[in-house]
Amino acid sequence: MKLFGTLLHKEVLALFSSPIAYAVIAVYLLLVGYSFTASLFMTRMATLVHIFFQASVLLVLMIPILTMRQFSEERKSGTLELLLTAPVRESAIVLAKFGASLAVVLVMIALTFSYAIVLALYSQPDWGPIYSGYVGLIAMGAALTALGVMISALTANQIVAAAVSLGLFSLLWMLDSAAALLPDPFESFLINLSLLAHFTPFATGAMYTSDFGFFLSVTLLGLFLATRALARR
Amino acid sequence: MTSILVADHLTKWYGPRLAVYDVSFEVEKGEVMGLLGPNGSGKSTILRILTGYLRPSSGTARVDGFDVVTDGLEARNLVGYVPEDVPLYTHMRVTEFLAFMGSLRGLEGARLRAAIASACERVSLQAVQDLLIAKLSRGYRQRVAIAQALIGNPQLLILDEPTNGLDPRQIIELRGLIRALASSCAVVVTSHVLAEIERIANRAAILLNGRLLAVHSITRAGAACSLRIRVHAGDHHAVAACITSIPGVSQLALDSWADSISAWRVEVTREEIAENISTNLTRAGFGVREIATAASDLETTFLRLTGQGVAQ
Repeated sequence: MKLFGTLLHKEVLALFSSPIAYAVIAVYLLLVGYSFTASLFMTRMATLVHIFFQASVLLVLMIPILTMRQFSEERKSGTLELLLTAPVRESAIVLAKFGASLAVVLVMIALTFSYAIVLALYSQPDWGPIYSGYVGLIAMGAALTALGVMISALTANQIVAAAVSLGLFSLLWMLDSAAALLPDPFESFLINLSLLAHFTPFATGAMYTSDFGFFLSVTLLGLFLATRALARR
Repeated sequence: MTSILVADHLTKWYGPRLAVYDVSFEVEKGEVMGLLGPNGSGKSTILRILTGYLRPSSGTARVDGFDVVTDGLEARNLVGYVPEDVPLYTHMRVTEFLAFMGSLRGLEGARLRAAIASACERVSLQAVQDLLIAKLSRGYRQRVAIAQALIGNPQLLILDEPTNGLDPRQIIELRGLIRALASSCAVVVTSHVLAEIERIANRAAILLNGRLLAVHSITRAGAACSLRIRVHAGDHHAVAACITSIPGVSQLALDSWADSISAWRVEVTREEIAENISTNLTRAGFGVREIATAASDLETTFLRLTGQGVAQ
């Protein structure tokens, strides 16, 4: 556990000592803020439902930038050799990188709570969908972060890691639109893999165990495959 | 003596390419083993297998009895490793980096601070220990990499081309450091510079195309060496008699004899005997055309095994 703490501390410092984390957080807040303002003035409704959809699409776009360097950079600079030849388990290294990236995602998501506070100051928003929306954002953020870390563990090139992550996340996001074209067993299978299909209930105020299970399974699968990718050498 | 490191029939394939084939050797405590071979001969791959970074395709490696694959954590805990390209976290300060590497080895508190101080002292890092690694010169970065390998008193120290990027003074200091460290642990060091291995190691494993050709013991009986001598004289028997009469000449062999020029290979116990040979031959009225230190024992073996013949 202490060892994990050491690794996590190093990863968090590495992320926050580079401008990448700050740039990603700033751009994310700027875009979500723009959506919030536009949506508020257009609909004049004290709700964040639209914002949660915007915020989740932006997670699809921003998380690859955060996770692309995690293993790719270490592999390219050779420091992965230092880590993997130290008496440390691969799983601890993966969890530390996942934890640090997720910390940035959580900061990013937490700062958007200021929009909920703005709503609360000037009206009485329904807090149920707001809470569930944030739970959904966090669950999806964790799943995407785990997949991003896994893809980063497969390549020494950060751009390749970012492009593949972005492609995979976008595909998973849009999967349900292609599902309508397919006959039933395939249709429901694709819908079950769709990020949007699992996120929509959270954004609209409904939390189902199956949606939790989906995001948790993707997170665990991503972490497991990242550990396997490191062990295969 | 017990072997700290036992490499047993190590083979490594990179896809269809064979990088290391059936390499076996042992290294005992107190011994410096040099891996010598041209670039691409498999030295770094072997080290990466020994440190657990790469898995062997077949064969095993044990560090103090722990298999580097099945007991990886225990084995890695006993190994200090300096990779070839000196990878470091350049955004960290020197002590911060050493503390991180020490923490990964389970050190904390006063023990960690003592280990960092000791490592910094051993490689003379005190002057730069509060600087960012990104600001350090190549030589200092090499020292930082060596310092992190020393933290936790490893049983086996593995250094991949450790003299790369060091200036001559640092190289000499590093040689002394390696020999000092070898008293408490086993050391495996690679180099493509033959003279480095000859100066540092007790034994040299000669590698070519991933195969271990021989393990050569490096003898240091004083400064014994071979001399190549060419002499102009009517009678080569008289030359032989003159040379063998000089104290310190242990062996004499005639390489060639043509046009009154005789070429000799002379084994002497000290290099300075060359001066006595020159003086005696001149006094005896022979014309000394050349006296040169011949290729060393290791050099001769290396060239013979790697199939290039002795360069004249």
